[in-house]
Amino acid sequence: MVKKRNIVAVLLVLVLGLIVVGCGEDEADVSVEGLTQVPEVTMYTTTAEYDPVRYEAAFMVAENWEELGVEVNVRPLEFNSLIERVFDAEEKDFNAFILGWSGRIERLDPDMFLYSNFHSSQDMPGGNNAYGYFSEEYDQLAEAQREEMEIEERQKIVHELQDMLAEDIPKIALYYRDEYQAYNHERFDNFTVMPGEGIYNEWTPVEIEPLTDDTVLEIASTQDLDTLNPMTAQTVWEWKLLRLVYDKLVRLSPDVEPTPSAAEDWEIVDDVTVDVTLRDGMDFHDGEAVTVDDVKFTFDYMLEWGVPYFDTFLNPVDSVEVVADNVVRFNLVEPYAPFITNTLAQIPILPEHIWSDVVDGEEITHPDEWDNPEPIGSGPFKFEYWRRGEEIKLAANEDHFTPPKIDGLLQVLYGHAEGVLGALEQGDADMNAWRFEPLHIEQVRELDHLTLTEAPDIGYYYTGFNLREAPFDNHDFRKAMAHTVDYDTIIDALIHGYGQAGGAGAVLSPANEFWANPDMASYEFDLERAREILEEAGYTWDSTGRLYLPEE
Amino acid sequence: MIKMVLKRLGQTILSLVVVATIIFFMFRLMPGDPTAAVVDPSISTEAREAMIQRLGLDQPLYQQYFSFLSDAVRGDLGRSFYYRRPVMEVIGDKVINTLMLMLSAMLIAYVIGILVGAYLAWKRGSKKEATLISIALTFRSAPTFWVGMLFIMFFSFRLGWFPHSGMRSSGYEAANTFEVFFSLDFLRHLFLPAVVAGLYFLATPLLMMRNTMLEVLGEDFIEMCHAKGLKEKVILYRHAARNALLPVVTTGALFLGQAIGGQVLIEYVFGWPGLGTEIIQAAQRHDYPLAQASFLLIALMVMIMNFLADLLYSYLDPRITYK
Repeated sequence: MVKKRNIVAVLLVLVLGLIVVGCGEDEADVSVEGLTQVPEVTMYTTTAEYDPVRYEAAFMVAENWEELGVEVNVRPLEFNSLIERVFDAEEKDFNAFILGWSGRIERLDPDMFLYSNFHSSQDMPGGNNAYGYFSEEYDQLAEAQREEMEIEERQKIVHELQDMLAEDIPKIALYYRDEYQAYNHERFDNFTVMPGEGIYNEWTPVEIEPLTDDTVLEIASTQDLDTLNPMTAQTVWEWKLLRLVYDKLVRLSPDVEPTPSAAEDWEIVDDVTVDVTLRDGMDFHDGEAVTVDDVKFTFDYMLEWGVPYFDTFLNPVDSVEVVADNVVRFNLVEPYAPFITNTLAQIPILPEHIWSDVVDGEEITHPDEWDNPEPIGSGPFKFEYWRRGEEIKLAANEDHFTPPKIDGLLQVLYGHAEGVLGALEQGDADMNAWRFEPLHIEQVRELDHLTLTEAPDIGYYYTGFNLREAPFDNHDFRKAMAHTVDYDTIIDALIHGYGQAGGAGAVLSPANEFWANPDMASYEFDLERAREILEEAGYTWDSTGRLYLPEE
Repeated sequence: MIKMVLKRLGQTILSLVVVATIIFFMFRLMPGDPTAAVVDPSISTEAREAMIQRLGLDQPLYQQYFSFLSDAVRGDLGRSFYYRRPVMEVIGDKVINTLMLMLSAMLIAYVIGILVGAYLAWKRGSKKEATLISIALTFRSAPTFWVGMLFIMFFSFRLGWFPHSGMRSSGYEAANTFEVFFSLDFLRHLFLPAVVAGLYFLATPLLMMRNTMLEVLGEDFIEMCHAKGLKEKVILYRHAARNALLPVVTTGALFLGQAIGGQVLIEYVFGWPGLGTEIIQAAQRHDYPLAQASFLLIALMVMIMNFLADLLYSYLDPRITYK
C-alpha cells in the first residue's frame, strides 16, 4: 500500500514538475488591494455513466456559484475513486462533492444520518463525517438521541439536531427521489407500498393474493444477487430476498412500526437490557425446531466473526444469554435506541446446527467464504434454486406463522431497465424490483394492466462541503451558498419532477414523517439574497466579478 | 515437431508470467479503494481495517505479488474480494454462457463470411459485390447495442418471434445439462444475440477471404483448373478457397481466444448472463483476484489458439512444415 502511494506520488511530482516548467511564471498575483480571491472550489461528483442526475446536478450547482464570482472546477470521478477521495483519504483535497445515501429501511431510524454522518468521532479516514463538521453541542445531542429510549423525548432531540444542521450547513440535501414501481393487477392484488422500500418490501410477497391459477409471483430485476450467505451479503439486493428466507425477531410494519415476528414479544427491562420471548412452534425449512439457542448462537456467531453490513447494529450488543426456555436476554454496552427497530429487525436467525461447523467442515477461514448453496432459514419462503445471472426461485413455506397466499416467487434478471419495462409490458413479469427510470413512468401509466405505485425515498442526494478550509470554513459563505441551489430546476430537468426538494442540512427525508423536522430553517433559491449575505459578511468583488475573501 | 511444440510451450509460459506481472501491477495502479465495493461506505473504520487485513491488502506490494505468482503456479487464483468465492467458480458459472453465444456468433460470421467472401472475389466489380460489402461494413461500424435494440424492437416487440432478454424462459425445468443448453427455448433466446454479434463480426472473415481469394485467383494453377475444364463452383470452393483460407484461420483462432471475454454490449442489451459484464465489474470494483484471473485466462486462450492455428496451417497447406 505504502509502495503504491510512493509510485503514484513520484509520478504526480513528475507530471506537476513538467506542468510548472511548461507554464513558467503563470502564478498571477491574486491579491487586489491586499485582498485574497476566494480559492477555486474543487467539486467531485460521479461520472455521467454512473449517475447522470448527480453529474448534471453538480454542473447546475456550480453554475450558480460561478454566477457569484466563485471559480468552480467540477471533477467527475469513477465511483470507487470518489468514495476513496471523500471518505478514506487522510488529506481531503476537495471543497465540495455530490453523493447520495440510499434509503435502506434501517435508515428510517435517524441514528445513521445524524450520528454517523456528523459526530466528530467519525471525522477520520474511513469515517462518515467527511465534512470535518465539529460542534461539541451537536456531539452531545447526537449521543443523547442514541441513548434516549423514550421515543417522544428522542424525537425532540432529533428535531433539535436537524435545526443545528440547518443552521451550520455542513451539507445541502439536493433532492429526494420518488420511487415509482408497477404491478400487474390482473394477476395479483393487495400489494403493500412502504416508504423507502416501494412494493418489493417484506410484506408484499406474504400478503398479495393471486387472481389467476398461476400463483407464482414473477419479479423483474436488473440486479442479480452477489451471494446467498447472510454473513457475506453487502447490499440491499441480497436482503430484499434473504429476509424472505430467514426470519428476524422483529418486522417493521408497513407503517414502519416494529411488530413481533419470530419474537412473540419483547420487554425493555432497563436501558441496557432487553428480554425477547421467542414465538412457539417455529421450524427451520429442514424440519429442525427454532430455539432460543439458535437466536443466541446467531448473535454470538456474528459478533465473533464480524459482519460488516450489520456492524453498527451489532456493536452495541455486549452479550446474549438464555434466561428461560423461550426467552433470550440482550445485554447492551450502552443504551441504544435503535436496538428494536434496527438490530432486532435486521439480524436473521441462523440455524445453529448448520452454521456451527461451517468453517471446519468446509475448510474455509471465515464463514463469509461459504457459498451457503441452499439457505435454510425459518422464513415465509423456502429457497428452491438460484441460476446465477438468470433467476432465483423461492417456494411458499406453508408452515410459517404468516403463510404466503402465493405458491412461490421467481426473481428474474434483466440486462437493463428497458428489459424490465418490456417484461412488464408483455405480461412476462408481475412487478419490478426497483424503481422505474423517470422516462418510463409515463409509458407505464398508459398500460391498462399495470398499476403504478409511488413511494417516497428516505435516502437523499446532497452536496457536502469541506469545512476544514476556505471557502467553506466560513459560516456566512455556506449560508450564502445555501441560497444558490435551484431545487425546482434540478427536480424538473433532472428527475422529471418525480421527487421532492431538499434543503440545507435537511438530511431526513420528509417521508420519514416521525423523525423529520417539519419546521427547519429553509433557504429559498435567491442569488440576490446570497449576494447580500456575502456583502454583509465583508466579501467583495473585483471589476470582473470575481469574489474576494473578507479582510482578516 | 515435438521440439517445436516444446519451444512454443516455453515461450507461452514466459509470456504468461509477463502478462501476469503486468496485470498484477496495472490493477493496483488504478486509483480507487478496493474496499469501497466490498464494504459499504457507512461501515465503521475498524470493520474496514479488518477487511483490508483479511484481503491481504495491508501487506507490502512485492509480498502480494509473490504470493499471487506462487498461488497461480499451483493453480490457485484466489478468492474474489467481492463474492468471497474462489474466482474459478465465479468464472466457471458464466464462461459457458459466454462461449455458447460467442461460438454461435463465430459460426455465423465465419461460415457466411468465408462462403460469401469467396463468392464476392469471383464476382469482383459487380453491383452484388458492392451491396454485400456495404452491408457487412454497415453492421461492422454500427454500434452493436443499437443494432441489438433495433432487432429487439422489431423481432421481439413488433413481431413477437423471439424473446428479448435472458437465456431461457423464466422458471424453465430441465432434466439434465444437455437439455439446459440444447432446448428449443434456449435456441430461441440465443438466436437474436448470436445473429447481432455474428453480423458484427462478419466483415472480418468476409473481407479477408475476398482479398486473399483475389490474389489466389490470379495464380497459374487456377488457369490450369480452367484449362482442365473444371466447373466454376469446384474451382472456386475446392481449389481456390482452400488456399485462401490461411489468414482467415489465424483471425478465427485469435477470435476464439478472445471469445472468452465476451461482448459486453451485446450481453447487456440482451440480458445475457455472460462473463464480459462480470469482468468489467471486477475491474470497476477493484476485485483484483477476479480481474487478474479473467485477463490471465483470456491471454492464455489467445496463446493456445495461436498455437493451434500454427498447427492447422501445416494441415491446410502441406508445404508448411515445422522443424
